[in-house]
Amino acid sequence: MIKLLLSHQWKEASRSSVWQKNLAVNLVLGFFMLIMLLYVVLIGFFMNELVQALKPGSNTVEMVNRALLYYFLTDLGLRFFMQELPVLGIQPYLHLPVGKGKLVHFVLWKSITSLFNFLPLLMFIPFAVRMLPEVYGTGGTWMWVLGMFLITLVNNFLTLYFKRQLVEKPLVTVGFLLVVVALATLDYLNFISVGAASGIFFHALGANMGWVAVPLVAFVAIYLLNYRFLIAHTYPEEMRVRKQSSIGESAEIGFLQRFGELGTLIGLELKLIMRHKRSKSTTMLSIVFLAYGFLFYTNKMYTDGFAMLIFPGIFMTGFMMMSYGQFVPGWQSAHFDALLTKRLSPYTFYLGKFWMFVPACAFAYLVTLLYGFMPTIGGKIMAINTACFLYNIGVNTFVVLFMSTYNKKRIDLSKSASFNWQGVGASQFIMMLPTLIIPILIYLPFGLMENPWWGIAAIGLLGVLGFIFHRQLLGVVVKRFQREKYAIAAGFRQS
Amino acid sequence: MIEVRDLQKNYNGVTVVNIPSLLVQKGETIGLVGNNGAGKTTFFRMILDLIRPTQGQVFSKGENVRSNEDWKQYTGSHLDEGFLIDFLTPEEYFSFIGKLNGLTSGDVQAFLERFRDFFNGEILEQRKYIRDFSKGNQKKVGVAAAVMSDPELLILDEPFANLDPSSQIRLKNLLKDLKAQGMTMLISSHDLNHVIEVCDRIVLLEKGKVVEDMKTNETTLQQLESYFTV
Repeated sequence: MIKLLLSHQWKEASRSSVWQKNLAVNLVLGFFMLIMLLYVVLIGFFMNELVQALKPGSNTVEMVNRALLYYFLTDLGLRFFMQELPVLGIQPYLHLPVGKGKLVHFVLWKSITSLFNFLPLLMFIPFAVRMLPEVYGTGGTWMWVLGMFLITLVNNFLTLYFKRQLVEKPLVTVGFLLVVVALATLDYLNFISVGAASGIFFHALGANMGWVAVPLVAFVAIYLLNYRFLIAHTYPEEMRVRKQSSIGESAEIGFLQRFGELGTLIGLELKLIMRHKRSKSTTMLSIVFLAYGFLFYTNKMYTDGFAMLIFPGIFMTGFMMMSYGQFVPGWQSAHFDALLTKRLSPYTFYLGKFWMFVPACAFAYLVTLLYGFMPTIGGKIMAINTACFLYNIGVNTFVVLFMSTYNKKRIDLSKSASFNWQGVGASQFIMMLPTLIIPILIYLPFGLMENPWWGIAAIGLLGVLGFIFHRQLLGVVVKRFQREKYAIAAGFRQS
Repeated sequence: MIEVRDLQKNYNGVTVVNIPSLLVQKGETIGLVGNNGAGKTTFFRMILDLIRPTQGQVFSKGENVRSNEDWKQYTGSHLDEGFLIDFLTPEEYFSFIGKLNGLTSGDVQAFLERFRDFFNGEILEQRKYIRDFSKGNQKKVGVAAAVMSDPELLILDEPFANLDPSSQIRLKNLLKDLKAQGMTMLISSHDLNHVIEVCDRIVLLEKGKVVEDMKTNETTLQQLESYFTV
């Protein structure tokens, strides 16, 4: 039975349209994933050198042991936000003559296949094999690794349990989080030492085989807890981790109403952003990227020149527009047919997007002006960012909108945000290049002729020209959209 | 009102719609019937310029629907959930559609008042997004939004599906009222009784071809039933 279920899972994964259609993207992502895993293995292998570099002369094994509990706490926190619960997959089987117990076991075992559970193995096995035998002996080493894996699994099931309780009995989860925070605070204030406890426990794990019973018992206990909880809640509506959908403020944004049809369209799009997790996190992330400048502005090697300042300028003032804009109109794939048949011209549709991008860039620009307070280079940064902002609203908006007509991949906004690559296609990678490279190419001839300020002015001037002629430029985008709309609509209809 | 010339749509060499000619007069109400896969929805999508025909044209008021967008001004349509904006509440959706059609919020209110019966108290003031409504209630929202602009041409794909019996009867009465006002309608349905009652012309599609095109009379139901009996 379990075998049959597993084969269904495999089919679900290999036949999902996202996987089949985006083979190229999946290959690229798979490649990055491999590199990342390789890094993890390398970190594990060279843990000794890393620790020695950070704290010369210390005992590596002891340091690692002391840090492990912090690591697992961080792991728990990350899981809480990112790990998905593999629950709904069993919905189609619930009405069939399959024991509920079997299904619940299946769900629980399936959760073990999460990448979160294998990263620590990749990191700690190389470390353990290289460093531990001389301290704990071979048997002790493997007990140490086993204990490590068991604690990882305990984390896995703790996350499952408390994430589900968040809906059922929120207080239990809140209480659990409070305990974790309290521990961290006490540790910070030096009342207790999590590090010391960690060191003692993990040392014992290696030195004395009996200690592995502790994580083992914890694992069995938390597994049974999950099992009992799930078996009592095998109703789809109870398993689903979903907040009661509460209706937020549904009043229209009065200010937007003054702009007629455009205001209505922008209002619609703002609602779309606010009411879906993925679009919201995309927008939030772009606010974080406003701090990107510090990487460049604190390095004298970059601030002496110009070219390496154009890059963060374009990136920061335009990231909000680009990160959201690269998926236009895919965000609206669920109601794309409505947009095509209601009384709305494609030109107005794109004009609405344009007038949404301009304030987004302007907002980002105003924030980046704060970099102007940086001593000595502040003025230069402000000037360059001004040119970059103008370039973004005058030129890059149209690059983004033009590339949007290549988006034919549906985005299902009801799916969760993290690790969701739906709608990512080759056009997203290609788009980022011209938006960042072309302004530098414009600057380059002036820079080579030792007239850097003229180059910056040229970038700004192009932006102003583009902004003045935005109607004509939008016309070009709309013309292409008219040709492509059938293919786009067909792509969006395929779920 | 609508004229179809040599319309064809092929997918991978299979012809799913093939209509050499079809003329819909202003004020006519046409019921489109046919089994699954007969090409009803594909045909509607080509009328609404959502699918590019392999060959042939659809003319609305004498203008090719692909050459300009004037047809949007007088066409109301609801085919499936893709026509709804599911993260809005019904009120927000109606007011959005109303604004696109140049209606004031007062107009929208007056319009919704007319639909109070049809909605049966399950649509408005529910504090729910459209995506959280049942299929039947989503359909009510879509049909109401399609009718909202008082269009000259109304295109509905299986409007009776998923509705409860009372709502089906209310919808039938609503469509009859609109017909009396002179609205041109294209309605597809699997419910032969309803569609014959509402429409004065029935077009029967099979594998993309028009196999029957008749005015509705007392014997129509019998004829159709004998066609569909296996």
